[in-house]
Amino acid sequence: MWGVLVVNIILSIMGYSVILNIVPKFKDMFVKAHLSGVDLNKKNKPELPEATGVITSCIFLIVMFIFIPFPFSKHFFNKEWGFPHQEFVQFMAALLSICCMVLLGFADDVLNLKWRHKLLLPTVASLPLLMVYYTNFNSTTIIIPKPLRFLLGHDLDLSALYYVYMGMLAVFCTNAINIYAGVNGLEVGQSVVIAASLILFNVIELNGDCWTNHLFSLYFMIPFFFTSFALYHLNKYPARVFVGDTFCYFSGMTVAVVAILGHFSKTALLFFIPQIANFIFSLPQLFHILPCPRHRLPRLNQDTGCLDPSVFPFKEKSLNSLGRLVLKVYQMLGLIKVERTDKDKELSTGTNCTLINLALKVVGPTHEKNLAAYLLALQVQTSKSNRIFNLL
Amino acid sequence: MWGVLVVNIILSIMGYSVILNIVPKFKDMFVKAHLSGVDLNKKNKPELPEATGVITSCIFLIVMFIFIPFPFSKHFFNKEWGFPHQEFVQFMAALLSICCMVLLGFADDVLNLKWRHKLLLPTVASLPLLMVYYTNFNSTTIIIPKPLRFFLGHDLDLSALYYVYMGMLAVFCTNAINIYAGVNGLEVGQSVVIGASLILFNVIELNGDCWANHLFSLYFMIPFFFTSFALYNLNKYPARVFVGDTFCYFSGMTVAVVAILGHFSKTALLFFIPQIANFIFSLPQLFHILPCPRHRLPRLNQDTGCLDPSVFPFKEKSLNSLGRLVLKVYQMLGLIKVERTDKEKELSTGTNCTLINLALKLVGPTHEKNLAAYLLALQVVCSMLAFVIRYPLASLFYDC
Repeated sequence: MWGVLVVNIILSIMGYSVILNIVPKFKDMFVKAHLSGVDLNKKNKPELPEATGVITSCIFLIVMFIFIPFPFSKHFFNKEWGFPHQEFVQFMAALLSICCMVLLGFADDVLNLKWRHKLLLPTVASLPLLMVYYTNFNSTTIIIPKPLRFLLGHDLDLSALYYVYMGMLAVFCTNAINIYAGVNGLEVGQSVVIAASLILFNVIELNGDCWTNHLFSLYFMIPFFFTSFALYHLNKYPARVFVGDTFCYFSGMTVAVVAILGHFSKTALLFFIPQIANFIFSLPQLFHILPCPRHRLPRLNQDTGCLDPSVFPFKEKSLNSLGRLVLKVYQMLGLIKVERTDKDKELSTGTNCTLINLALKVVGPTHEKNLAAYLLALQVQTSKSNRIFNLL
Repeated sequence: MWGVLVVNIILSIMGYSVILNIVPKFKDMFVKAHLSGVDLNKKNKPELPEATGVITSCIFLIVMFIFIPFPFSKHFFNKEWGFPHQEFVQFMAALLSICCMVLLGFADDVLNLKWRHKLLLPTVASLPLLMVYYTNFNSTTIIIPKPLRFFLGHDLDLSALYYVYMGMLAVFCTNAINIYAGVNGLEVGQSVVIGASLILFNVIELNGDCWANHLFSLYFMIPFFFTSFALYNLNKYPARVFVGDTFCYFSGMTVAVVAILGHFSKTALLFFIPQIANFIFSLPQLFHILPCPRHRLPRLNQDTGCLDPSVFPFKEKSLNSLGRLVLKVYQMLGLIKVERTDKEKELSTGTNCTLINLALKLVGPTHEKNLAAYLLALQVVCSMLAFVIRYPLASLFYDC
């Protein structure tokens, strides 16, 4: 087991250095192919290559391909237990789901698909996983948490709903990372923290009963950590590349895949607390109860060089009653700031409902580099509290 | 077995109609994303969406995903033989290789990667296949054809070379289809004919000893045939979409995958006779022994509306001795036509070394629609020839 893990780590580190090496060389090719974006929060508004997450994902896949024989060749597995057939098939199904997600995610970046497609694509990509799960296990029974057992019994067979849950997990993870973005290094940074947390969780659980599930997860999480960390170096402030939706899809799917096959999806979701909070906070704008501008990232104050929260303009009369209620509740809780910009035309603005803007509201105008650092520190902090919570 | 095949056919037909339905709807999205190409051989030079092969490939993958439980669920497989673990893993590895190839192929269409990358990408995409083969079998022994047994013995262990051969098969199939192109409907059409030929071969072999391999191949070839046929309807003359390198990669890899896992790669290559001939014929230009222009497709004669062979310009003095030799041999065999365009500057032209241009040289100027029909008819005839080689003649080479 340790030999196989060492091979995995070595291949991952090789992947790390390859990415750091080759991504800058692709810069011109990406820009020429119209895969580029403007860094809106810099004074000179540079044009950076977009969707470089596809390169990272491909290197991850190549590392995993080369790694395939190692956990399954007859020299490494425990002969008493026989050949690990089911794990082999699950391994391939997991890679197939991730590969398919990268393909669809890259197509999204190239073709600019609509929002409804962003919900459909991860569902399609998780099909191999669901199909293999159905063929291998078809176990859709969940254990009820102790406090609810007196209501629901010890376990509950969710049948088809379990598959819906698994499909939704992929949709959630990918899009939650995607909308918690807009500051250099945030998408990759949060993924790196989540990966590191999952690796630590898996290592701790190697001593437990379900150690094979956690070993399986480590086989994916270690390369995922190293390849994402390489991309983080290129995307952190000041960014030299943009990672694109491709990276968010890749990242969310890889985490969803290990969480489903490792049977620890609830714990995995605990490491997504900032993403979940950002998602819930954003819901009124995502459902257009409040107006939702195209970009909700913070905006640059040209004079101070710091970031301020961005706002959405609205007319109070054009909001429906639900919108007015949400606005009031958010204001009361101090989550957003509403200002009247033009008394005659009755125009107002409200700060966009994202965790990033809330952080800026709470801390005050901040330089982009520091804002990224605070948000990543928040991610680390919530992971740490989870681990303490788990140990209790 | 038959129930599973029926499900496969039904899902494939559904894929066929989905493709015919949705590809036209993506037209604007592709053109806006700068994925478009000009149809050079039409008078009005329309701009058509490029790389639509990616849509076909995705529908193929979705059909295969939905199909996954059917061959392997406990209701369908033969319980006496136990769960078919190895086939299940191979199935997933095959899909992974095809999916990876589509990803890399689409990246090539978007980013316009260089030619050396076109050789590398299929090798990378075939890694899952090679790795699973190593883990499951690691059998690298081939049976020697009878005429050579006197030299080499009954069988020969190729070890690492066998893996090189498998890797090269993917590189060859993808690029051979890619360079035999330039006329509306040719890339998809040849793939459809190859797909149909392989299906026929597999069905015949279902009665043989290795029926499990051929059933496995049918699971892939039937959806491949239907999804490609749908795209053919959109790409044939007059084309409404271009398929892109993505389709050539998808097509070559799918055939390579079933050929490797089904252990019938030599027979599969028999169905590639026109592609092999075109490849060998093109070699001097591919290796720049003779000059190789960017595009070698036939060119439109604006007056007649027919296609003429395209040419490459050269100065006889700038060719090296090998180039001059090849030029003479090709001229002698009647494969190309060399004309002197400017006596003083010593400029000449030679027809490009592709099977398409050769066909035009033999048949004379032809309308694009008819040229495509002739070339596809040639593909069908070569497939029939392949069956003749494989069956009656195979017993001359092997014991089976």
